[in-house]
Amino acid sequence: MDSSPKISVSPVVTDYGFVALVLVMTCGLALLAAGRFLRAPQRQIDISPVWAQFRFGYGIYALIFLAFDMEMIFMYPWAVVFADIGISAFLDMLVFIVLLGAGIAYAWGMGGLKWE
Amino acid sequence: MTAMLEIVTFAVCAFIAIAGALGMTTTMSMFRSGIFLMASFIGVAGLFILLAADLIGILQIMMYIGGFLVMILFMVLVMHDPGGAMMAGMDMALIERWFSKGLVPRGHPHDGHMHGDHKEGHDSDNQENDAAEHASGGGHEGHSMPHGAHAAPDHPSMQHGDDTGHEGHAMHHGNGNHSSTEMGEMDMSMVTPVRPVAAWLAVAVGIVLVGMLLLRPAWRVVDALPDPDSARRIGQLLMEKYMVAFEGAGFLILIGIFGAVLLARPSTYPDDSSRSAKVAVDEKPEPIAHDGLPPLTRSERSDEHQARQQRPKEHCA
Amino acid sequence: MGVIVTGTAVLAALLAGAALTYGLERLFVQHGREPGPAHDVEFNRNLHIANSDRWLLPAGPVVAVAGVALAVVVVPFGPGLIGRDLGIGLFYVIVVIDFVVLGLALAGWGADTPDTVEACYRIIAQLVAYVVPLGLAYVGVIMMARSLSTISVVNAQSALWFVVLQPIGFVLYLVTGLMQSYRAPFLEPFAGSIGGGVLGVSGGWSALLWRVALSGVFFLVAAIGAVLYLGGPSGPVLPGWLWMLVKTYALMALMLGLGRCVRPLSTAQMLALSWKFLIPLGLVNVLLVGGLILLGIGP
Repeated sequence: MDSSPKISVSPVVTDYGFVALVLVMTCGLALLAAGRFLRAPQRQIDISPVWAQFRFGYGIYALIFLAFDMEMIFMYPWAVVFADIGISAFLDMLVFIVLLGAGIAYAWGMGGLKWE
Repeated sequence: MTAMLEIVTFAVCAFIAIAGALGMTTTMSMFRSGIFLMASFIGVAGLFILLAADLIGILQIMMYIGGFLVMILFMVLVMHDPGGAMMAGMDMALIERWFSKGLVPRGHPHDGHMHGDHKEGHDSDNQENDAAEHASGGGHEGHSMPHGAHAAPDHPSMQHGDDTGHEGHAMHHGNGNHSSTEMGEMDMSMVTPVRPVAAWLAVAVGIVLVGMLLLRPAWRVVDALPDPDSARRIGQLLMEKYMVAFEGAGFLILIGIFGAVLLARPSTYPDDSSRSAKVAVDEKPEPIAHDGLPPLTRSERSDEHQARQQRPKEHCA
Repeated sequence: MGVIVTGTAVLAALLAGAALTYGLERLFVQHGREPGPAHDVEFNRNLHIANSDRWLLPAGPVVAVAGVALAVVVVPFGPGLIGRDLGIGLFYVIVVIDFVVLGLALAGWGADTPDTVEACYRIIAQLVAYVVPLGLAYVGVIMMARSLSTISVVNAQSALWFVVLQPIGFVLYLVTGLMQSYRAPFLEPFAGSIGGGVLGVSGGWSALLWRVALSGVFFLVAAIGAVLYLGGPSGPVLPGWLWMLVKTYALMALMLGLGRCVRPLSTAQMLALSWKFLIPLGLVNVLLVGGLILLGIGP
């Protein structure tokens, strides 16, 4: 019936298909919960809206967090192959960590790591 | 069956990616804009996973949730109407209205007056709607209102309304604008005359790009499945083939940190607008009441805490 | 049909775990202390907030529960009792638990009251504080297990648990796990002074979902900790799932107990603790574990 060439599916895709199924089931569960409370009595909160320009004191932490998030992305695949490669991988990551440690040291020294 | 499922999944992921991007550009609330971009990239991550690149797909999601929440914070820091409450009361194209549903417009004493006068502006807006289906939000991003979120127009802002009304590109709503200048700063027209041109340009560029994709001479089709142990494969590639790029990325990140620390230093003379913005406070947490230790002296409780204790709590109706 | 049964089992495991966690926390609630995420919520009445963002506010609890449910898929509850052994399980768990933070931030901003927007800021500060040290703790374990899959981590500990080989990483995990689940001493986003933050503006169905999400995330943090450092569902006499249960709740009790020994930290103190102390500690941990592996110690 199917004259097109056989399409083989990677096991990865089926794994994530299961994940998507769980996601759909969770949304269904949330809908069930909402439905059960649909006719519950309501109480009202009337507070004046407050969306406005906000200052927050951890801006510098947030910027450095972005940089370190990128570092973590590199560390995960490195950690998987580290034991197989040995010392050269260790030295490479040592250089990487020293670079980022220098970044934190600089930020700390310049007084950046504090709440404004 | 499998092919059908793959095509359906691809279609769903692609739809999420495109709808997210559309939502990002047309919604009135900036916070929602960031969230729509996150949703769009979740669609892209789905596309990566369909290609069996699971590490890269999940990496997309990680960067975009972590990174984007932080970026949204910075956006709220800089922009004057991050929640879209003020913009929600304005005339919007159909698609913008759809993506901004659920935002409650900020209450305005001249509400009825404003809507009445904008009717004629609205009709001409409708004609423009048909042309500008993929309205790019370009016109809106530049219009951060200089008068912030102060919702009380009782103060003498009538003169302000005059100036800001002309500052906005108000040619399209010419009629509406003359009558709106007497209503205060909220009626500044958000429609620019370039919007239909921008929309057509975007559609044209999109057609050119898709055409280039479709009319490519030969697509290489490979039968072999990619390696399911993608983390190991990526690690090996990083260590062998892309070592220089790896270290270079680290160096680039370091430069980024330097720049961030230099730029984010509190300036000696903070300007008025940032001084007037609200601040997320760092409160000392409430001390533990019954832990058997001698009571704290008054000076240890922060002033903010005192102020909050005295402020009457909101009562629910 | 097998997948649907497995999916239901995953969700049932989450609900059971969350319920047990909630019971445990309620048992140990002490008067005069901040309840944090165990804040009282009204289950019976739905809440309507006047100026809220009607898309973002309801989406918050749903996203949070989705995050926790997706993460339970990779937790091994026993030999063969796992939703799916994803090849990149541990990385997936870190990413998916971030959805809880996203959900809290959506609800915090969406509710549009001063207290909840303040809570939104504190929640994102907590994200900024916990992700990098937690990742560094995971990296130590991944280096020894040579894989991101949770089953491989369990198998790599058949000789010796990682808590013995990586004590620094274990301490790091305890502290960042408390940050991740908003328990003492890191419960500023749910402080009483801002009316319970997001929990103060939840009612009815959203309160139920928040309960599941917040208890679920603590359960998940303890379960993944048991997998990473205590060998997961492996042990001599009892069946695997019983060992997993015992280890998870023991770790949870340890975290709760240790957390209460310290006064609650303010957001600035938490960020300073994370960036000035935990991250250098984490980097040192990675180098130490690398040294251990090169010396041939470990699996």
